[in-house]
Amino acid sequence: MPPPSAPLTPGLASFLKSLKINPIDTSIDNLISLLKRRQIRHSRSCATATAYLLRSVISACRTSDASKLIERVQSVGRRLIAAQPREMVVGNIVRRVLGLIRDEAEDDRDGDFSLSEAGSESLPQTPRAGDDLSESLYGRHDGSASKPLSSLAAHPISMFSLLSQPESENSLPGSPASASPSGRLPAHPQNKDIRAEVLDGINEIIDELGQVDDQIAAYALDHIHSNEIILTHTSSTTVQKFLLKAAAKRKFTVIHAESYPNNHEATHATVSGTAPNDDELLSTESFQKPLIAHGITVILIPDSAVFALMSRVNKVILGTHSVLANGGLVASAGTRVIARAAKVHQTPVVVVSGVYKLSPVYPFDFDSLIEYGDSSKVIGYEDGDLVEQIDVQNPLYDYVPAELVDLYITNLGGHAPSYLYRIVSDHYRKEDINF
Amino acid sequence: MANTADPTLNPVSAPPAAPESASKKTNAQMEQSQSQPQPQGQKAPKPAKPAKQQQPAKDKNAAAAAAASADGAGSDKLSPAELKKKAKAEKAARRARERADREQTGAGGGGAAASGQGPGTPAGKKGPDAGAAAAASGKGQKGIPRRGSAQTVPQNGAAEAKKKQEDKKVAVFGHLYGQQRRTTVAGAGKEVHPAVLALGLQMRDYVVCGSSARCVATLLAFKRVIEAYTTPMGTSLSRHLTTHLSHQITYLSTCRPLSISQGNAIRALKLAISSIDPSVPEAQAKSTLCEFIDTFISEKITVADQVIAGSAAQKIKDGDVVVTFAGSSIVKQTLLTAFKQGKKFRVSIIDSRPLFEGKNLARTLANAGLEVQYSLINGISHAIKDATKVFLGAHAMTSNGRLYSRVGTALVAMSAKERAGGVEIPVIVCCETVKFTDRVALDSIVVNEIADADELVVTEAPHQLTDLPDPAAAAQPEPKKGGKTAASNPSPAESNTASKKDGSPLTDWRDTPNLQLLNIMYDVTPAEYVDMVVTEMGSLPPSAVPIVHRMSTNL
Repeated sequence: MPPPSAPLTPGLASFLKSLKINPIDTSIDNLISLLKRRQIRHSRSCATATAYLLRSVISACRTSDASKLIERVQSVGRRLIAAQPREMVVGNIVRRVLGLIRDEAEDDRDGDFSLSEAGSESLPQTPRAGDDLSESLYGRHDGSASKPLSSLAAHPISMFSLLSQPESENSLPGSPASASPSGRLPAHPQNKDIRAEVLDGINEIIDELGQVDDQIAAYALDHIHSNEIILTHTSSTTVQKFLLKAAAKRKFTVIHAESYPNNHEATHATVSGTAPNDDELLSTESFQKPLIAHGITVILIPDSAVFALMSRVNKVILGTHSVLANGGLVASAGTRVIARAAKVHQTPVVVVSGVYKLSPVYPFDFDSLIEYGDSSKVIGYEDGDLVEQIDVQNPLYDYVPAELVDLYITNLGGHAPSYLYRIVSDHYRKEDINF
Repeated sequence: MANTADPTLNPVSAPPAAPESASKKTNAQMEQSQSQPQPQGQKAPKPAKPAKQQQPAKDKNAAAAAAASADGAGSDKLSPAELKKKAKAEKAARRARERADREQTGAGGGGAAASGQGPGTPAGKKGPDAGAAAAASGKGQKGIPRRGSAQTVPQNGAAEAKKKQEDKKVAVFGHLYGQQRRTTVAGAGKEVHPAVLALGLQMRDYVVCGSSARCVATLLAFKRVIEAYTTPMGTSLSRHLTTHLSHQITYLSTCRPLSISQGNAIRALKLAISSIDPSVPEAQAKSTLCEFIDTFISEKITVADQVIAGSAAQKIKDGDVVVTFAGSSIVKQTLLTAFKQGKKFRVSIIDSRPLFEGKNLARTLANAGLEVQYSLINGISHAIKDATKVFLGAHAMTSNGRLYSRVGTALVAMSAKERAGGVEIPVIVCCETVKFTDRVALDSIVVNEIADADELVVTEAPHQLTDLPDPAAAAQPEPKKGGKTAASNPSPAESNTASKKDGSPLTDWRDTPNLQLLNIMYDVTPAEYVDMVVTEMGSLPPSAVPIVHRMSTNL
């Protein structure tokens, strides 16, 4: 983080700082204006800011009534989303928090009425919604030990649970996250403080946001072999960490398309190892050694040369802005042609993305997902006369259809694009999708 | 590809700069061309250097040369014996100078570049950058030998630097790097005509850019060469002129690799020369050749362009949205023709780094009154969304029907061909038959052209608009040079970091191990992405390219 003496430019760092001092309503307005002014841009910064804000919102909310909490979070969430509808992670985090509150409320009720609702459709989702949050704290052994207990308890209640309970275990075979809130259930006192539980849950979300890149990077060696030629695009830290992890063990070549004009400066800084002066990406990333310091050859190319080089590329690894439930993704402009060129050359396309970028949104109107940026980046002010005569366009995002992506790697592992809807339904409750 | 409408203007206006000063004797020509491109500013330090270089070499000549240079300034009333002596001394001095220049290839580079792209030009924007880069590199290289002669340690550094430079070649494209592009006219053969000298530098700096523009400019320059040519005793024109021309061609190809169209035109010209009857008097032969060049230009390019523009314009209907890539001259002509016919359509131009050729096209079309939309290559999928036709220019069409054109063309054609919803947008290539070749290409790697990777380094122009022209900004080029020779000289380290702060992070990429920049010029578009090739012989499918090529060469 920047030294406190330096005047902070508005952004994530300054927001988090002010969050501690300002009253909650000021902070909400503050984040809304930051989002509106696009002073918080990156998916992860937005997600972090939202999570921190919701934590303060809930801790400021002097009630333990779940429905009141839900209402409060919903109203804040709606305002945040209205501020930047295309930043889908904001909505995702709000939904996750809502899901948390509902889970805790239901756990309470489950305790009270001794699982009388266990047969309802929402039960299979209940444990899983908490899965990924608690995965870092509760190991597999814990979950597998306690699971049979709860499922046994559920058995006599309904025939549905006979089918649904085993399925819930099979559906996430790879994830170490079989630990479930139901496993924790017996430990809770009957009339616990929902708020404290929810705050814990949000802290776990915040932890997840901090670790997600490293968790994804842990899969790197499964996907990159020696002497491979990998093409990537933009300066995504997730991709960089992924490649760095592999670089520690293997030698390969990276071809980096510079993503002019919106991200080329950051890309140039990334490839050459000069610290990016982007204060949004606080934390240690900026001090990390670049790929070239690990002996990896990095070839920087203009975006136009992608097709020419694709015939020699073994794998395309892309970062993304957000992932949609149909397996398509919204990523920085230029990604679509790269993915398409890869498809034409039969080159596999791998998208690395944290689960928090996964939105329960089905794209029916692609254009509404796309944001347009500053046209002066395309034609500078020195050509002002030209700008008056012609229509200069600078789209920031591309919609990439699911069929162009071969594999998603999230912090839960690798998935086919067609499987994403399942992860979506694991993470968000149906009632929260349109809150 | 860029400005073929101007090719007729450009080359005509450009060469006179050089030939005016040309004298009768070739030797004198050589000397003139060497000294001519230096801007006034550099004149003062320049003459001192050759003398210095040569002193250790030949004492006798040194004295003579010194005398000669003193003579050159003033009196020309000398006795025949003195004249003879002076000529001898001059010759020696010149040789020494040539050698010196060859050693320090870059020396006059900056100056040459500056004068080369003299006439206010479309590529003016990037011209200065290239010139500055050339100057910087020249200075950098100049520094090394001098220091090397003083002490031995830096020599190691220089060697190290050289090793690093080789590192910077992208392995897959290793076969394409060849020799460095010429940065100066120094060291060019004395046979090279001044018009050709100037053209070479213009092509190197993309002042004359685009396949047909380069072809026309080359032919016009060669016309001047032929006009100035006199057959030496003991040979015939048809035999000797070909070798004389090949000197010019070699020079041009060291400035920038020849385009397919240039190659085709040169082949035709050589054929015409060799078919001249030796008994024909020289003056008549020369006029026949000049006539041949004129007809070739008009037949193969000027008129062909009109025919192509006419027939391609017919493909544009009211309400069309035409997407094009970069700045093809023939596409520009087509769009303007269609606009003049009163058709109402929109043009969407997609452009790319580092040449930004589409900007000029956008400007011309907007000035003519067309509705123009402009985006960079990252906006392809948006630009193509509501497109109804794609028009592309060509650098060449290969015999297997593939389109060899400015890098990025393939992406545009591909996007047009796979639009979601199954509706394909027709991709129309406008191409003169002079650009057809019998070569074949499967990918963009075997055949391509590598441009200077330094063109990719972003130079921040807007800084100067806001900031005061402080000394740090003025010293900006210095750290750049320092960055190059950093290995040989530890002192520029501080200036290096200083430049890192406000310049692009890539400024000293050559010193960054494992980092490579790749700037290729062309790519190959698969034949299945091309629906139609509009030529002056009619509209064809890409598979017809080899047939047409055979027809047009076997005439």
